[in-house]
Amino acid sequence: MSDNKKWYSLDLGLNNKKESSGTCGCGKTEGSCNSSPKEEELSADEFYEAAINASIGEERHRDGFEQVFDVKMDRRSAFKKLTASLLIGAGAVTTSCSVTTGSDTKEKAQIDWEEQFKGNYKLMTDEEKQGTINRLMRSYELRTHKKINMTAENAAEDVLFGYAFNISKCQGYMNCVSACVEENNQDRNSEMQYIRIHEMKDGEGFKFNKADDNYYHEVPAEGHFYMGTQCFHCDNPPCVEVCPVQATWKEEDGLVVIDYDWCVGCRYCMAACPYDGRRFNWSKPEVPEQEVNKNQHYLGNRMRKKGVMEKCTFCVQRTRKGKNPACVEACPTGARIFGNLLDPDSTIRWVLENKKVFRLKEDLGTEPKFWYFMD
Amino acid sequence: MKNRTLIYLVVLLLGGTLISCKEKEGEYHSISDKIEAESKPYHGNLTSDELLVDTELIKITEGENTFLIPERKSQIKSFACIECHSKPLSEMAGTDIQKAHWDIKLSHANGDAMNCATCHNGSNMNNLNSLTGKDIDFNLSYKICSQCHSNQFEDWKGGAHGKKVAGWAPPRASNTCVNCHNPHSPSFEKRWPVQFNTKTAIERNEGLDH
Repeated sequence: MSDNKKWYSLDLGLNNKKESSGTCGCGKTEGSCNSSPKEEELSADEFYEAAINASIGEERHRDGFEQVFDVKMDRRSAFKKLTASLLIGAGAVTTSCSVTTGSDTKEKAQIDWEEQFKGNYKLMTDEEKQGTINRLMRSYELRTHKKINMTAENAAEDVLFGYAFNISKCQGYMNCVSACVEENNQDRNSEMQYIRIHEMKDGEGFKFNKADDNYYHEVPAEGHFYMGTQCFHCDNPPCVEVCPVQATWKEEDGLVVIDYDWCVGCRYCMAACPYDGRRFNWSKPEVPEQEVNKNQHYLGNRMRKKGVMEKCTFCVQRTRKGKNPACVEACPTGARIFGNLLDPDSTIRWVLENKKVFRLKEDLGTEPKFWYFMD
Repeated sequence: MKNRTLIYLVVLLLGGTLISCKEKEGEYHSISDKIEAESKPYHGNLTSDELLVDTELIKITEGENTFLIPERKSQIKSFACIECHSKPLSEMAGTDIQKAHWDIKLSHANGDAMNCATCHNGSNMNNLNSLTGKDIDFNLSYKICSQCHSNQFEDWKGGAHGKKVAGWAPPRASNTCVNCHNPHSPSFEKRWPVQFNTKTAIERNEGLDH
């Protein structure tokens, strides 16, 4: 148990390994430690199963009236349910009590426990942020035996990120889209993409209902122009406003970010965004191990899970180090310009001051930090 | 007596509105106000120095802008040109030497307006040649381009045209014209997009897309 924490920490005996057979690592000699000597080890799947059993039990296998009528609640099943719920709370403890469990499993259980009860990233101190990324890195290593590098860099002083998109330059090659997918570890199965490139007819203006954002022919196509949309990192973001759990917020440098571990997946933000900037993980995101970008940021491209929101973060893992976002770097035509709005000498400021810029749906007052311009 | 209560009320009301207006949310009316207010004094301390170490750069000043561009001569495989072009072009023409530059086909403006000699100087191949016959160093080839493409030149100086070499953070290092455009065939070619979303295509076929 370490002090100065907002939740109760489990000590799974990693720090005092000597204690073995007789008593458990947890120091108790009764209760959950002795009550279930058969459950030596709970794998992630078993744990999940037990959790579901405890909450809804057999109901999930039944349908309709069976749920009401076909319930045999004898003493045995009642006990079974009780044991299951005990198992969740005591799952980690059980693991620690086992003689056969390896220290890796114990460590994993401890990490899972701490991660389960950590607070909102927005409210964390720098040490707590460091703590959680250390746990996430270690957890990844324990699961895959591969190392990743995750940071929790905060916004730098005097930085406000802004983006400009040159409509005359974009030719619709979509190098930005593929660079973004690779950089941000987006789910390959559902082919999630943060960036959309819209092919629009010349002379018709911005008609998103008529535009095609999934064309496949030689580009640039005759009589068409191209423009890209993604998260605009509004200065007055409606998505942040509607989040019931404050899992998304605006950082000091203007990035609108999501704590994937705090998001409950209600998708209010998706509905509130007037720009279709947000994406939802309907399934567990999967990226082949060799394709995983291992330079990660807690708020950026770290692996997401099923049922949480994600979106463009202006590649927070890159931009807070002074690099350009992956889309800017990949663009072969130089249509994408990124920089610091607070730096009077930056190129983005020159664009805003010298080109005729506009933003989408400006009248909504969302104040996107993403401008369009033409040559 | 009645008047005094009225005055009290008015003062209270005014005070109330003043206090309630001072929430942090409405600190700026718009993003441009915010940019203007927060950018002075500016003391950002991130740099792209580290990202630029592998690129050889030269510093140029054009108008009010001073920035870095990639050095060019070391990137041209057949530089220095005089290693072959030891004599003026007129003397080399027609002689029985191996043909070179057969892969270069000029598709830049039309033949009436431009030919090789518009940019190259037949009697001094190591330098480029301005329209008025002045030498222009290969490293500063943008000076050749800017003779005609003046709008692009203005945008490039300011930073609206042309890609950055590495990061957004200062110092600014921008690609020069020839880093993206082949000077002999400067426009970008038609090609297939690198990405196609099969899932979206399926959803659209099934009418699931909104």
